[in-house]
Amino acid sequence: MTVRPASPPLGTPAPAETVLPETVLPPSRSPAAIALRRGLSHGGFLIGAGLVGLIVLVALAAPLVAPHDPYAQDVSRRLIPPIWHAKGTAEHWLGTDKLGRDYLSRLIYGSQISLLIGVSAALISGVIGTTLGVLAGYYGGRVDAVVSYVVTTRLALPVVLVALAMASLVGGSLKVVVLVLGFLLWDRFAVVTRAATRQVRAQDFVAAAKASGFGAGRILGQEILPNILNALIVVATLEMAHAILLEAALSFLGLGVQPPLPSWGLMIAEGKPYMFFQPWVITIPGIALVVLVLGINLLGDGVRDITAPEGRT
Amino acid sequence: MLGFALRRILVAISVALTVSVASFMLLHLSGDLATAIAGPEATSEQIAAIRVQHGLDQPLVVQFGSWAWHALHFDFGRSFYFPEPVTDLLASRMPVTLTLGIIALAVALLVAIPLGVLAAFYRDTWIDRTALAVSVLGQAMPSFWFGLTLIMIFSVNLRWLPVSGNASWKNFVLPAVALGYYAMPAVMRLTRNGMLEVLSSDYVRTARAKGLAPRKVLIRHGLRNAVIPVIALAAVQFGFMLGGSIVIEAVFSLQGLGQLAWESIARNDFPVVQAIVLVLAMIYIALTLAADLLNALLDPRLRA
Amino acid sequence: MPTRIDAGRMRKMGQGLAGALLGGFLLAVGPSPALAGKANDTLVYASDSEPENLSPYHNSLREGVILSRNVWDTLLYRDPKTGQQQPMLATAWTWVDPLTLDLTIRDGVTFHNGDPLTPEDVAFTFNYVLTPEAKIVTKSNVDWMKSTEVTGPHSVRIHLKAPFPAALDYLAGPTPILPAAYFKKVGLDGFSKAPVGTGPYRIVSTASGKGVKMARNDAYWPGSPIGKAKIGKLEFRVIPDGDSRMAELMTGGVDWIWRVPTDQADQLKRDPTLTVLSAETMRVGFLQFDVQGRAQENSPLKDVRVRQAIAYAIDRKAMVDNLVRGGSRVMNALCFIEQFGCTDEGVPVYSYDPAKARALLKEAGYANGIDLDLAAYRERDYAEAVIGYLRAVGIRVRLNYLRFAAFRDAVRGGKVSIAYQTWGSYSIDDVSAFTPVFFGGGDDDVTRDPTVIAELKAGDTSIDPALRKAKYAEALKRIAAQAYALPMFSYPSNYAFTADLSFTAQADEIPRFYAASWK
Repeated sequence: MTVRPASPPLGTPAPAETVLPETVLPPSRSPAAIALRRGLSHGGFLIGAGLVGLIVLVALAAPLVAPHDPYAQDVSRRLIPPIWHAKGTAEHWLGTDKLGRDYLSRLIYGSQISLLIGVSAALISGVIGTTLGVLAGYYGGRVDAVVSYVVTTRLALPVVLVALAMASLVGGSLKVVVLVLGFLLWDRFAVVTRAATRQVRAQDFVAAAKASGFGAGRILGQEILPNILNALIVVATLEMAHAILLEAALSFLGLGVQPPLPSWGLMIAEGKPYMFFQPWVITIPGIALVVLVLGINLLGDGVRDITAPEGRT
Repeated sequence: MLGFALRRILVAISVALTVSVASFMLLHLSGDLATAIAGPEATSEQIAAIRVQHGLDQPLVVQFGSWAWHALHFDFGRSFYFPEPVTDLLASRMPVTLTLGIIALAVALLVAIPLGVLAAFYRDTWIDRTALAVSVLGQAMPSFWFGLTLIMIFSVNLRWLPVSGNASWKNFVLPAVALGYYAMPAVMRLTRNGMLEVLSSDYVRTARAKGLAPRKVLIRHGLRNAVIPVIALAAVQFGFMLGGSIVIEAVFSLQGLGQLAWESIARNDFPVVQAIVLVLAMIYIALTLAADLLNALLDPRLRA
Repeated sequence: MPTRIDAGRMRKMGQGLAGALLGGFLLAVGPSPALAGKANDTLVYASDSEPENLSPYHNSLREGVILSRNVWDTLLYRDPKTGQQQPMLATAWTWVDPLTLDLTIRDGVTFHNGDPLTPEDVAFTFNYVLTPEAKIVTKSNVDWMKSTEVTGPHSVRIHLKAPFPAALDYLAGPTPILPAAYFKKVGLDGFSKAPVGTGPYRIVSTASGKGVKMARNDAYWPGSPIGKAKIGKLEFRVIPDGDSRMAELMTGGVDWIWRVPTDQADQLKRDPTLTVLSAETMRVGFLQFDVQGRAQENSPLKDVRVRQAIAYAIDRKAMVDNLVRGGSRVMNALCFIEQFGCTDEGVPVYSYDPAKARALLKEAGYANGIDLDLAAYRERDYAEAVIGYLRAVGIRVRLNYLRFAAFRDAVRGGKVSIAYQTWGSYSIDDVSAFTPVFFGGGDDDVTRDPTVIAELKAGDTSIDPALRKAKYAEALKRIAAQAYALPMFSYPSNYAFTADLSFTAQADEIPRFYAASWK
């Protein structure tokens, strides 16, 4: 096989070999109850689910939990330090930024942007990658060769550079970042679904469906897709994390999400001039990013372990 | 083997061709080249003259042909910004990025391989879990943030290492650590999995049963077999790191290809951007080809 | 095997790739760096942008201006203390009539390559930069000249297109003299790689991305009003990132930085090994509106009420007091208030009034707000604060932060709704160096109001000071009343440098390194 799903150094370099095709099993043989029991005893999964759940909750309830309007600037109240600092105030728990905007509120609204980008980019790339991967895995032969070639081509392009160039040509914005990342990060979906589809295709029940004269569309939709779902979820978490980190990097380089949107990557970029004297302006959004990505990765690893036939590999 | 190699080389060539089309299109999507070459104050007659002079009035296919022919001879035209050929610019910036990539890869391997071996050997102990935690954290930290944190600690507070530039070997330490950390988890996991596979294989079990010391078994049989795919992965990771160094170079003000690419994008200097895209892609293609051939040479099962 | 790869000579990437692999360590890691500081008699200064071309007429960056003043001489010298013109490369000058200027060229001056300075060099320089083939980027500095002729072994005559009262200011600033014979021999490309001038420093080496190394011109001509340089070696390092520059200064990697944001300057003042200077400069920031509506269809900016709403929505005073500080002042007329001919008397003032801004928007039919883009290339904070203020009255603005070259091209090409411009007037103390650049019908004039153009032209070409003042005042009033542009404030410059260095800053934003010395 010519496809090499190693990962770029920038994002989440979990290699695809962590999502081995053996993890694929027909759902009838791994009932929800077993998964639940395994999930509850899996530490990483629990931590991941907790972290992600918390951030999703905060993002959804942002208007309720944010103490201030994240865009309201007051240049006479700039750079107030966080509450644990001697000069902190209870009015701004995490202080204010260089334009006097409430840092906690920006952090809270920033979670919406990170999640939005992670989910939408993973959706777009998931659709592209899964389509290619399933077709390649199901039909094999020439289709497989073409898909392999497309994936290899895509892998040869330096992601950050191409994303930066595209964002600069079109003009950086939330929509552009989602689209560019969505159209760049589908390679792992294709690789994993291809392998998974090949395996499922060889199983008895697919052969039976074929023998009963069902069309390819029906077999793909009803037999194959549900059976590669677990593998898909794992890849989706990886790519979500990857997209979130790439968005932060693009915004940091000034070609991603544009001000005044409170993207975490942008907050780090904006806080950079202050890092030597007011280090919290970059440590706070940085930790938020680490926590979110860590949560998503742990969740993904957990799902893989839980749905694997023999527990942890 | 020959058949496999030929097929694989054919794929590499067609991928290279596709990438060059993509990079050519990138240049053309960036706006009207004649206007860009002529400069902001040119009259429309001057622009028209330049269009003819540079062959920009020809059909796109013809233009691609001539562009590809020049690119094949390492001629990427002239920068819109600097009064220099793109090739000269790349040649002067390439060593910095390659040096960074090589050191970063060395850092990654020197940490990841021992850690992976230990994790496999002491499976499910605190060593294994620590190794896992280190790799999970590596995947979750944004590289630019990690780089900034390193600067804050080691350059500004402790003053051990310089902040920016590429004047001496010391300048490469922090960026290489920041970049290398991102290649590390993948290599670590692969080493660990490879070692586990080897350790559970029959001949190791036999050796163990014969009473050979565990350490000897590990080194004599385990490492040798587990390390080959790691080398192949390392080659690929190196290609990725060159592409990913753009962020690290920006953080550490290293004047390498990445910094040049970033600034050229901001300056709309697309002849430089497309040349860098092309060169990085070609390096990647060459590395993956080498890795695949190496793997196939060592593992006949892959030649199918 | 070569032990060192000469990057400049590597034409082929094929060799480059193999060579780079081998030579990478040697080139990138090998030689130990020239150390900064007093002990090495090397003053290392860092700034953010790299001039695209070191020829002083072929870049419009401040970094280029600094090099220009340290490496080249001009015909006249303007004393920054008195503002008076003094002889430099020209020993005497007389106006034959308002269109003809005769100058006597100094004897005994040599270029860094040994060529003596002659009147031919002066005539060549000015005639060459006026040709369209020269493609200079600082046209507004020279296009008042028609031609220059050699009239004797020591004299030249400059013919003007029209009377130009600020001519002597220009001859004392952005019009350095190039070596004719050398320039003709090497061409612009060669000149940009190995520039030659007559100034107190000579350029030793240049490399893209690495900066410029200079050494004292020991053969500098005696009797120059600026005198011989005191520090032996000067090095310009390009560090694009402001925080890296600051960290380099704090850790001793560089000796001198500028454009330190006021917040950080306050922090650096606490470091006893550093000296921090803050001073107002002639640079003024302003928002230039796409009045012609080229950037988007049916641009709301065509409506004067929308432009006025923007002006009322921004609290420039609060920005000056809290964000900019360091001696900055709010400007109401589109020029630096101390320049000759710049006045805000009778110029409409837009003080902060968000309610009025909303009312004006509503009146213009934009009660639901508008979407615009804003391009900026410096001081991102200021642009973001502007965006924050506009957002509060319902104007949603997207920031497009660009490098200067891309910014300039985008604005000139009419692709920008609001351009956050800043202008330092090439340090010329006359309004003709500011307002006409953006409203006189040239490349940077995106408004092209014929009334304003005519008024500015009348001011530029008259030799009667009273008439000039009156004409400029009319133009400034109209620009403000129509809100073609919104002047923001003057910019402070914060310099930070090692406490070993004795350095004086001038309001014209040109660091004179030749005058600096070690303590």
